[in-house]
Amino acid sequence: MQRGSAKPERKQRVNEHFLGFGLGLRPDHHQTVVDQRPPVDWFEILSENYMVAGGKPLHFLDRIRADYPMVMHGVSLSIGSTQALDRNYLHDLRALAVRVQPRWISDHLCFTGVQRQNLHDLLPMPYTEEAIAHVADRVAQVQDYLGQQILLENVSSYVTYRDSALTEWEFLTQVADRADCLILLDINNIFVSSRNHAFDPMEYLLGIPIRRVRQFHLAGHTYQGEIAVDTHDQPVLDEVWNLFAEAVRRFGAVSTMIERDDNIPELPELLAELDTARRIAEPLLAGGARE
Amino acid sequence: MSDLAQLQGAFQAYITQHDPAMLEHVVSTPAATAEQRLEIYAEAYRLRLLETLETDFPGLHGLLGDVQFEQLGRAYIDACASQHASIRWYGGRLSDFLRDRSPYREQPALAELARFEWAQGEVFDAADATPMGIAALQGIAAQDWAELSVQVHPSTRLLNLSWNVPVVWQALDADEAPPPLSAAERPVAWLMWRRELRPHWRSLQPDEAWALQQALAGGSFGVICEGLQTWLEVEQIPLRAAGFIKQWVSDELVVELRLSSKAAS
Repeated sequence: MQRGSAKPERKQRVNEHFLGFGLGLRPDHHQTVVDQRPPVDWFEILSENYMVAGGKPLHFLDRIRADYPMVMHGVSLSIGSTQALDRNYLHDLRALAVRVQPRWISDHLCFTGVQRQNLHDLLPMPYTEEAIAHVADRVAQVQDYLGQQILLENVSSYVTYRDSALTEWEFLTQVADRADCLILLDINNIFVSSRNHAFDPMEYLLGIPIRRVRQFHLAGHTYQGEIAVDTHDQPVLDEVWNLFAEAVRRFGAVSTMIERDDNIPELPELLAELDTARRIAEPLLAGGARE
Repeated sequence: MSDLAQLQGAFQAYITQHDPAMLEHVVSTPAATAEQRLEIYAEAYRLRLLETLETDFPGLHGLLGDVQFEQLGRAYIDACASQHASIRWYGGRLSDFLRDRSPYREQPALAELARFEWAQGEVFDAADATPMGIAALQGIAAQDWAELSVQVHPSTRLLNLSWNVPVVWQALDADEAPPPLSAAERPVAWLMWRRELRPHWRSLQPDEAWALQQALAGGSFGVICEGLQTWLEVEQIPLRAAGFIKQWVSDELVVELRLSSKAAS
C-alpha cells in the first residue's frame, strides 16, 4: 500500500532534528509493525512500557528499533514535584536510553505526586518564579545525569491557580531558557488549555521561542460539559489541525507525531491520520517556512 | 513548607481524599467552578487506576462483573496509593487486599485468582534467558548427574492454589461460562513460566513440585533424588527424576545444567 512517506519527493530535510512524521508505538501494534514495516518515519515509545526485565515488550522494542528511528517519552519524571527526584527511575531511564539510543528523551512540565505517591497523572504547575527556579534546577540535574538535553511537554490543564503570575507560555519559555532544555509542543494540549482558560492559542504559539521546539504531538480530545478534556482517545479534531498548520508556519519543520493512548484503532486508521498531518505540513514546508 | 510544596500537597489530598483545602487555590469561572475543575482530576485518577486493574485482572473482572469489580477497584484505590514510577506495578497488592479485607476475605478464591493473574504478568515480562536444548542432555557424563544443579528460566513461578482458579480463569478467558469455584482437598502446586513470549502453566504432582522447589533453591540432582524417597521406592527414583529433567528441558524451563562444584567455586 502506498502512503505519503513512500512518495519519491518525501519532505525536505531542512534541519538535522527533523525526523518527519511519526506515531506513538503501542503494544497493540507491535506485531503489525514488525510484520508490515508500515510507512512511518519514526516511533515514539512510552519509556515506562519498556522499563521491564524482559519478555515481549523488549523483544518487540529491539526488533522495531532495528527498523525505525525512535524517541523516548516518559510520564513519571515528575520534574515539577517538590519531592526529591526518583534516582531509581532515572537509573532505569538511562539504562533504557542505552538500549534504545533514542534521538531524544522527553517528559512533561508537571508534577505527578508528592510524599512518595504517584498519581499517574500530569498535574499542572503554578506559573510562578518559585516554580521556574525549582523546575530549572531539577532539569539541570536530569540533563547532567542523562548527559543530554531533554524536552519538556506542555500539559493540558483544567485548573487555573490563584498563585499563577505568568501565562503558561511565559512559564514554559522561562523554564526552557533557564534550564537550557528543549520543548515538545503538544498542539492539542495548547488547544484544550486555550478552551479551558479562555486564551488565544495563537498568542501561545507566538510566545514560544522557535529554536527551543524539537517535537510536536497531535491528539484528540473530548468535552465534559464546558471543559475540554485531553483524552487522547479520538482522532485529531479540525480545530487542532488548523492550529497545527499555524504551528508549522511558525516553527517550520518539526518532527510531528500522532499520540493515541486509548481507544486505539487499527494501524491503518492512524496511518491515514498521519497522512493528514503530512498533507497539511508539506506544502507549508515546501513554501519555505522557517530556516 | 514552600508555597509550591503546600500547593502540591493540597492538590494530591484533594485527588486522593477530596480534602477541600485545595479549593481556595483554584479560580472558579462561569464555565466551571473550582470544585468541578478539581473533580476532573479526582475522577480521572480513579478511572486510570481502574483501567489498569481491569487490564491486569481480566479474570477477576469477568467473575465479579462490572459493578462489583468497580466497587472493589475503588476500595483498593482508596486504601492503596501507587508508589511506583510505572503504573504497571499498581495491582501488586490486590491479592493481599482481597485476602485481608471484608467482605472479600470471606471468598478466599478471589485472592487466589488475583494472585494467579498477577503471576501471569510477572511471568510475561520477567528477565530473558535462552533455554537449553534437549540435545545437550546427551553430553552429560553419568558420574556428573548427582552434582548437577538446574538453572531455571527467570520467569519461573511456583504457586500453591487451594481453588480451581486456573480452570475458572481459562473459561473466562475463552468467554465461556466458568465452572463453579471449588476447593481441592489439599493445595495444588502450579508451575508458571514463559515460553515463546507467552505465559504457560500446568499443575504438578506433589513429587514434581517438591523437586522443582529444590531445583529453584539450588539443590543438586543428587539431593532431589534422595528427597524423592518420600514418594517413591528407591528403584523408581532415577527414572522419575530423569523424567522431570527431560520434561523441564523440553518445556524450555531450563537455562543450564551446572555442576554444583563449579557453581560453588
